[in-house]
Amino acid sequence: MTPQDITKLIVRTSMKDRAAFDLLYRQTSAKLFGVCLRVLNDRGDAEEALQEVFVKIWTKADRFAVSDLSPISWLVAIARNHAIDRIRARRKPAADIDAALDVADPAPGPEAMVVAGDESERIHHCLDELEKDRAAAVRGAYLKGESYAELAERHGVPLNTMRTWLRRSLMKLRECLER
Amino acid sequence: MTLAEENGPERGGDDLFAAEYVLGVLPTDERQIASRRIDTETGFARLVDGWEVHLSPLAAGYPEIEPPATVKPAIDRRLFSSTTAAPAGQRAGLWSSLAFWRGLAAAAVAALAIYIAVPYLNPPAVLPQTRLVASLAADGSDVKYLAVYDAAHHEVALSHVSGERASGKDFELWMIEGKNAPVSMGVIPAGSTARIVVSPAAQQKLAQGAVLAVSLEPAGGSPTGQPTGPVVAAGDLKSI
Repeated sequence: MTPQDITKLIVRTSMKDRAAFDLLYRQTSAKLFGVCLRVLNDRGDAEEALQEVFVKIWTKADRFAVSDLSPISWLVAIARNHAIDRIRARRKPAADIDAALDVADPAPGPEAMVVAGDESERIHHCLDELEKDRAAAVRGAYLKGESYAELAERHGVPLNTMRTWLRRSLMKLRECLER
Repeated sequence: MTLAEENGPERGGDDLFAAEYVLGVLPTDERQIASRRIDTETGFARLVDGWEVHLSPLAAGYPEIEPPATVKPAIDRRLFSSTTAAPAGQRAGLWSSLAFWRGLAAAAVAALAIYIAVPYLNPPAVLPQTRLVASLAADGSDVKYLAVYDAAHHEVALSHVSGERASGKDFELWMIEGKNAPVSMGVIPAGSTARIVVSPAAQQKLAQGAVLAVSLEPAGGSPTGQPTGPVVAAGDLKSI
């Protein structure tokens, strides 16, 4: 499926076309389940979250029209934000589970071709300009949706230090992205 | 640490707050604040969107994992079990959800939903190039319009979002291309929506993404062919 095909499915979903919604689910649910599972670290929780994510997609599909995101990125953003809201509302995950799942970022697969273009090279290039541990914190925060509190604990620094640290990294990123 | 110390007032803390929201590091209460602002503030929503775009390549790190077969039926039960598939009911659902959205976002979505629907009734057209959208607003003015330029039909559709014209006055729409003098596109008819036909000469300039502006003029439009009153709203066309 090309991004354009997925755009069509989202638009038809916004017109309450159930066949399009079914196809959209078939085409994208594996990616969005991957997002939920990575953030939530719990299958039951991730299944529940995925249901809620697709309920949101059905009701909010119109909003895609006013977004600058590619269709896949827009869907991923809905799933990520929902999963992160959900994990924030939940108790803090045990540190050892977190560490056990702390695998290296896989090399971009075919999916990256859909998600990324020049923008992809830019963000990776800009992350490379940060110190290694800070770039890792940004990537980790993005993929796992870790909170400032969790990051502070893992890096063994006070919460405010962590926040200052990450904000500086974000400002450097912004500067680099705008260059 | 304050936002001002980190950013300087000219950059504002909003962009960084948007970045923190997108990255996912904020605690629940701050995420809720951000989420409300996305719904109510177009400017903030754009900042969030910008960071989503910047960081979206990182999502390549998420694996694809097939969810269990029970999930989709559960979604359908949540969405469709209590309603029959009557088209009238579905329409009501769409419009009641539209009513929930506020301000410019609501106008944008409504207008775009109509415009985007068209290609799917006909064979697909070249969608990104032929539909440009501009949000028209200006500091110190409550006049806001959403403009959608439809190249295929040679017209600009305007949704009136807010701000009334004074009695005995009219709003006039102008196209500004580069440093050239504004070109009048006509007086904007009163009402919540209006369509203005675009001359062939203006079509190409619009397609390249000109700026649209609204000025306050005497009834019937500018007597000079150039804006005589204040510009009450402006914005540039961008593709969607």
